[in-house]
Amino acid sequence: MLARTKAKALADRTVDREGKPRYLGYGLGLRAQHYADILNGDPDIDWFEVISENYMVPGGQPLRILDQIRARYPIVMHGVSLSIASTAPFDPDYLKQLKALADRAEPVFVSDHLCWTGVHGVNLHDLLPFPYTREALDHVVARIQYVQDFLKRPLALENVSTYVQFRNSEMPEWEFIAEMTKRTGCWLVFDVNNVYVSAFNHEYDPYEFIAGIPADRVVQFHLAGHEHNMTHIIDTHDALVCDEVWTLYKAALNRFGPVSTIIERDDDIPPLNVMLEELGKARDLAEEVFSA
Amino acid sequence: MTLAEMQAAFQRAIMQGDDDVLSEVLDNSRTSRNVLFGVYRHAYAARLVEVVRNDHPLLHACVGDEAFNELARSYVADRPSQNQNARWFSHRLPDYLTEKHPNEPQLADLAALERALNDAFDAPDRETLTLADLATVSPENWSSLVFAPHPSAQRLSFKSNAHAIWLALKNEEPPPPVETSETPENILVWRHETTPKLRRMSDEEAMMWNEAVNGVPFGDLCELVAVYDDPDGAPLRAAQHLQGWIVSGLLAKHPTED
Repeated sequence: MLARTKAKALADRTVDREGKPRYLGYGLGLRAQHYADILNGDPDIDWFEVISENYMVPGGQPLRILDQIRARYPIVMHGVSLSIASTAPFDPDYLKQLKALADRAEPVFVSDHLCWTGVHGVNLHDLLPFPYTREALDHVVARIQYVQDFLKRPLALENVSTYVQFRNSEMPEWEFIAEMTKRTGCWLVFDVNNVYVSAFNHEYDPYEFIAGIPADRVVQFHLAGHEHNMTHIIDTHDALVCDEVWTLYKAALNRFGPVSTIIERDDDIPPLNVMLEELGKARDLAEEVFSA
Repeated sequence: MTLAEMQAAFQRAIMQGDDDVLSEVLDNSRTSRNVLFGVYRHAYAARLVEVVRNDHPLLHACVGDEAFNELARSYVADRPSQNQNARWFSHRLPDYLTEKHPNEPQLADLAALERALNDAFDAPDRETLTLADLATVSPENWSSLVFAPHPSAQRLSFKSNAHAIWLALKNEEPPPPVETSETPENILVWRHETTPKLRRMSDEEAMMWNEAVNGVPFGDLCELVAVYDDPDGAPLRAAQHLQGWIVSGLLAKHPTED
């Protein structure tokens, strides 16, 4: 428990001297299946990433659990519906609820995905791709600035797995991301699995992606599993991290240095001890990289 | 094609099967854009059907896999999500089932019961009224007492025996045959501490509940109860209903004006 209290105290200093969200260590995506094991035990987890929308509810057990987790661990809020690249106006109620939750939970930072989720009043509840054009860049930059001003905190955005590329894209994804961070000061959640999936689907070199991302903007790694269909890979988050993604993770560590890391599992969720084994592997690989 | 035009076409391609956007995306060397775009088309319906399934496990158990998938897919097609949070996607399912399956009222009733339980689970928190609070009220003020329901409390009214079907399915027993009645069955759903609860109410209790949550004072509630049955026992029966609500955590500590 002492370790937990210390972790929380450290994380309460949410930023380092340069204003970058502080390093949190090795965490997990918080899932309801693990609530009891986490709160009744003292598992070796440094921090949790919570899905914002799961706690954007009026009251009851979800918010109670969040308060209990927050009292013991640093957290990061990770949303799925900000729809930062959508050409539809923001939903003001959604932004107000997101801000209210952030004000209550005091996360180390708030993140979402570099994607859109719907237009014309519809939400498809998916993380959809868009062409990497100057037009899209200007649009996304303006939207990030709006959200950061509204939340009064910097936003971190995650690269998503994509299945199609657009004929009219004017630059590779990493160039778009680099320019986006330069113009907005936003942070990046670097999903190693998503880079692997998109690189396979679109036949580019994932190491070129890693090399193109500004190293000082990356504040978090995601590690996850996927479904390989031979002609393309689907990002399912329902399996163990595969060897190729672990190899890419090592390359990311070499380029970005120590970065707060989580294992993200959204489906077919195994018992907590299985998640901890995978997290242990991430720790061991990082130690191997940094002691070399 | 502008970003806005592309997004509109992309969404149409997912929701309506329109292929216009395919001319804007690329094949990879292993497979076609049709297959690659198909990932989005498949994931859209599959994900939302799963949301409906998670929100309605006993409706699913009641009708079986095949009928449930058909029902959920039709719902996804007919009522696209309008909320940023998938938590609320299934909310229109009871109305949808009432409209599309008017001769099977147990479907809409079961969906309404599960929706009420889901809503009770994460309804707003509010301190509950206790018997100790009432003990501080002087006898001459009892008749003017007004009550407020806990935000999680909902009264439902069913034409079918959905409650009995729900109970059987919850206990993993074969559900009873569907029955319908002209006299609606009154069900109360609420959250006690952290757990959603439900129970039947008599017609008399349901009438008193309806009036109480509309701000009718306790003295008038006793008079209304007297119209229902034996007038001499009315104050006692009204007090028993009230006590049951308080012990169950159905009433909020403060009246609705806050």
